[in-house]
Amino acid sequence: MNIAFYSFFVIIALLFAVFVWSQRSSKKHTAPATPPSSSLDLPGSHVAYLPQIRRALSSTDYEYASKRIPPEALRRMRRERKQVALGYLAALREELVRLLRTAKIIASLSPKVAPKQELERALLAANFLWRYRLIRLSVWAGFAPLPQINDLGNLLSGYSVHLEEAMKEMGERAAMVAEMVSSPDRRRIHPV
Amino acid sequence: MEGTHAFEQWLWGVTLFLKAGLVLLVVYRKNNRVLPFFFSYLVLNFLQSVLLYETYRIWGLDSPVSLRVAWGTQGLVTLARALAVAEICHAILARHRGIWQLAWRLLAGTAIFVTVYSWAVSRGRWELVILSLDRALEMAMVSAIAILFVFARHYQVTVTPVIRLLSIGFFQYSCFRVINDTILERWLHHYASLWNLLDVLAFLGSLLLWMWALRQTLPATAPAPELLPENDYRVLSPAINARLKALNEQLIHFWRTEGENT
Repeated sequence: MNIAFYSFFVIIALLFAVFVWSQRSSKKHTAPATPPSSSLDLPGSHVAYLPQIRRALSSTDYEYASKRIPPEALRRMRRERKQVALGYLAALREELVRLLRTAKIIASLSPKVAPKQELERALLAANFLWRYRLIRLSVWAGFAPLPQINDLGNLLSGYSVHLEEAMKEMGERAAMVAEMVSSPDRRRIHPV
Repeated sequence: MEGTHAFEQWLWGVTLFLKAGLVLLVVYRKNNRVLPFFFSYLVLNFLQSVLLYETYRIWGLDSPVSLRVAWGTQGLVTLARALAVAEICHAILARHRGIWQLAWRLLAGTAIFVTVYSWAVSRGRWELVILSLDRALEMAMVSAIAILFVFARHYQVTVTPVIRLLSIGFFQYSCFRVINDTILERWLHHYASLWNLLDVLAFLGSLLLWMWALRQTLPATAPAPELLPENDYRVLSPAINARLKALNEQLIHFWRTEGENT
């Protein structure tokens, strides 16, 4: 009975914490009142810097430098490489957040939402975030997972391209519907 | 003890006065048309207070008749409050049809689960049946409001300040009642007078919050967002999830490689 008695306090405390968290900075996260077709933040910014980052992080570059510069400069170079890797990982995460934001906007403006899809996305995002933290920690600790970072970048770029194509398709379809509606013979339009 | 009793009576009078004031304010601002269930709850609450005042005056505070009237009407008022909370949920999410379809099932499911849980773990004494049921309903409302705001935050749905304040009022009062009922269940007779006093104080807090929120006339209907065609979600959502899945697989792959290296 004691557990049941205290369970109410614990549940209320948890729900209170959740409620307070949900009130926090909700002003800056508001859904638009119009479809986002023209204003979607499609990511892809990291792609522009990918060749430079790959070069900066490549092992051959490091080996070449190790033969030509003093150890102190090499240590500084290693430190800077780590900073670049961490910065790149942070940029990837930022892009993922932007993509998730796009997904949320689409869901909030859709007349029908599939619970399975939404749950799956929430779990996938949670999975990504905890793995991202582990990777970030390992990079910070001094391991340099360069090929894997490259893979991550490719993956997100592919994701962005795919989304961009889908959004373009959406725009074309909307334009076609608008044209059909403005044509004189509207009775022939079958929405389904 | 006498002093506490007098303070409680004074507080009770103030609350009754404020309840009447809020009912009049809602009617004056024509907000009863926008929030009919909330208004019904306020009217029922006010009528309950008047009825209880008369019941206590005629039969006394500790008589079985007063007890039955108090708990009987309390059931009705709690139910009206649950409907008002449902109205708030609808006011926040209904404009986003897809999310609302998803949310109302989840909110109802959680409310039912929490009610059953609260009922199941309550002490099996017949005199505590109403108290347990009351706590179960309060618990369901607390969960529903918390999940509602998590939903709103997740999907970046705008919540107007008025609706937010009304929700905070409901949330704080229900939270308080769950705690108050739980303590009362354990120390029934020793806690009863303090239970009443704290309950009135908590309600007073909510009442003042609602009065502040409803000092202005609410717009009859909020502008609904322009929705996307249904097919867009069907196309984009699985694509996004597929990419997220692939991204996670990459992370797993990376983690394994990292483990092997070290």
